[in-house]
Amino acid sequence: MKIIDKLITWSLLKSPWILHFNSGACNGCDIEVVDALTPKYDIERFGILLKATPRHADILVVSGPVTRQQAKRLRTIYDQMPEPKFVMAVGACGCSGGVFNGCYGVIPGVDKTLPVSVYIPGCPVRPEAIIDGVVKMIKSVEDASK
Amino acid sequence: MTKITIPFGPQHPALKEPENFMLVLEGEQISGATINLGYNHRGMEKAAEDRTYIQDLYLIERVCGICSHSHTTCYITNVEELAKAETPKRALAIRTLFGELERVHSHLLWLGVAGYEMGFETLFMYTWRDREQVLDCLEMLSGNRVHYSINTIGGVRRDITAELSAEVKKRINFLMERTNYYIKLATEEPTVLARTQNVGKLPHDVAIERGAVGPTARASGVMRDVRKDDPYLIYGELDFKVITHNSNDVFGRLVVRALELVESYKMIHQILDNLPEGPIAVKVPMKIAPGEAVNHYEAPRGEDIHYLKSNGTDKPDRLKVRAPTLANLQSVAYMLEGGWLADVPLVIAAIDPCMSCTDRAAVWNPKKGKTEVYSWEEMRKMGIEHYKRRGVDFTRL
Amino acid sequence: MSDFTNEEKIKSELEQKFHGAITNAAVTRSRRVWLDAETAKLPEIMAWLKAQGYNHLATVTGFDEGENLGAYYHVTDTHVIVTVKVKTPRANPSLPSVLAAFPGALSYERELEDMFGIKVQGLPPGRRYPLPEDFPTDQYPLRKDWKFVPPANEVEAK
Repeated sequence: MKIIDKLITWSLLKSPWILHFNSGACNGCDIEVVDALTPKYDIERFGILLKATPRHADILVVSGPVTRQQAKRLRTIYDQMPEPKFVMAVGACGCSGGVFNGCYGVIPGVDKTLPVSVYIPGCPVRPEAIIDGVVKMIKSVEDASK
Repeated sequence: MTKITIPFGPQHPALKEPENFMLVLEGEQISGATINLGYNHRGMEKAAEDRTYIQDLYLIERVCGICSHSHTTCYITNVEELAKAETPKRALAIRTLFGELERVHSHLLWLGVAGYEMGFETLFMYTWRDREQVLDCLEMLSGNRVHYSINTIGGVRRDITAELSAEVKKRINFLMERTNYYIKLATEEPTVLARTQNVGKLPHDVAIERGAVGPTARASGVMRDVRKDDPYLIYGELDFKVITHNSNDVFGRLVVRALELVESYKMIHQILDNLPEGPIAVKVPMKIAPGEAVNHYEAPRGEDIHYLKSNGTDKPDRLKVRAPTLANLQSVAYMLEGGWLADVPLVIAAIDPCMSCTDRAAVWNPKKGKTEVYSWEEMRKMGIEHYKRRGVDFTRL
Repeated sequence: MSDFTNEEKIKSELEQKFHGAITNAAVTRSRRVWLDAETAKLPEIMAWLKAQGYNHLATVTGFDEGENLGAYYHVTDTHVIVTVKVKTPRANPSLPSVLAAFPGALSYERELEDMFGIKVQGLPPGRRYPLPEDFPTDQYPLRKDWKFVPPANEVEAK
């Protein structure tokens, strides 16, 4: 691996920055994602920071069943992220459309719009599951880079 | 003065929902605002017509994760009215308990978000840490922190034991102390006052004209609360005050929600001390006789209204949901006009919006012919810097 | 008869004032009044109700009854909810706007246009609500004859 690749991988493993995007969710998963920042779960101690712009993010955390109105914007956000980048689909809605599967306003599941690396089920997803998902993802990147 | 038009589509690091505000700027003041929505449209009312009443219960719960109980209870009240079911008193009391616990978690969440928007991040961390106590109560009672699904057609799914009741009371007592601290903060801390007083003004008659509901309306002196005006569940038997304020601004909305927390704690104690005996549910047939019903509910954000039409089958003919924030949006346009750009994130957050936002603000300067794009986070930081230059600095707290 | 005095009062006052334009008025339970109204008289009836203290238009529910489309206007003084039902033929659906009395009704009236295809006379120009920008403007999801068919190209992204 080139030095620059090693550096990028190391910074991703040590401190993954996430961008949260709500693609039409009910907010249940969103408040649990934000909850992961708060003192009881505190993902910042793992170096995980919630960023506000795609250009700073390593991981795109997408909640919601992807409404049609949001699908284009979701793709734009993803394209603006620099490589290497990963997508986490959180919640039953992110995984498969959840309870909204079959609704006309929805393209069910994030993986119909973006390539997804990690699926985290739950309705809503628990903060511990989010942390677990990020850790598993980092582990797989680590294993792949060896 | 150069006129600039800003399409403002929000990206909240704290709460993410899509909405789009078009702001016309003159210098740093907003001379016009319109609201464009629809990013969260999933097609639920149509889907509801293809699902049975019990399936719709789980669909309607997910209109909103923060006030899911409000939506299911309003829906189930309609269904039970049409089915002419005699819901047991104990079930109604448990529903009321969940309604008030939901109000507590929602208002604490909002206090944190308001703090975050102001730049007062410590308040955000404190309130959300305390909110975990309420989420623990909800999890103990129902099995889930969010989307408790405690309702079923004819009653509730789970009962409350004496031990659970004691655990809930312990946590509520802890929260009562913490809330006194927040009230003091909201009403006495000069930095908070500087950011919230005279910001986002909504006069009493405009609030009524534009159909504002909930704490947003009550902060403009509108004495309206569905729990008192059209009592449902067991609110008719509870002793509580409707909190109003007459400052018509964000400060008023802050005070109203903080004091409503105290009223909710009182009510939770009253309910747990007087839980009626009896069954927790009655059997209701799957097919509901034809009829129509309309009911409203005081959700944490305001009046939530549902209409339901049944046609003799096991699926509804028409289900309509109007969530509280839609009613408040027309007032937001009013509140933003004449205000400062720096106050926009806080004014919008002050109605406690329950929508999905991915914000992007594009600033168009017609003279320069250039378009710039601001994210919500950038606008939020701009607001904080603007006030810091005027001596309002939360980092000193 | 019934002891719902406020409800009976508003019902009979409406029947008297709009004699002929109001039919099927009923107090179905405490704090609920339902009535059918002549469509052309809608703005006048709403303005009159507002003047009697029913100044909160909680929401507007569109409906499809086959031969007719229409809407329910749920208006309240926060104690009693009065629901005014108006119909319009499916062949050429149109309703008058109530924005003059209830400026807060903007989103509710746009929804009637987007979801049912009911033309609301007097609605100012503006972006549609709630359907997405690229949704076809001649399709009305909440009509009973509209069925959702998922597009064939919605498969897993690469």
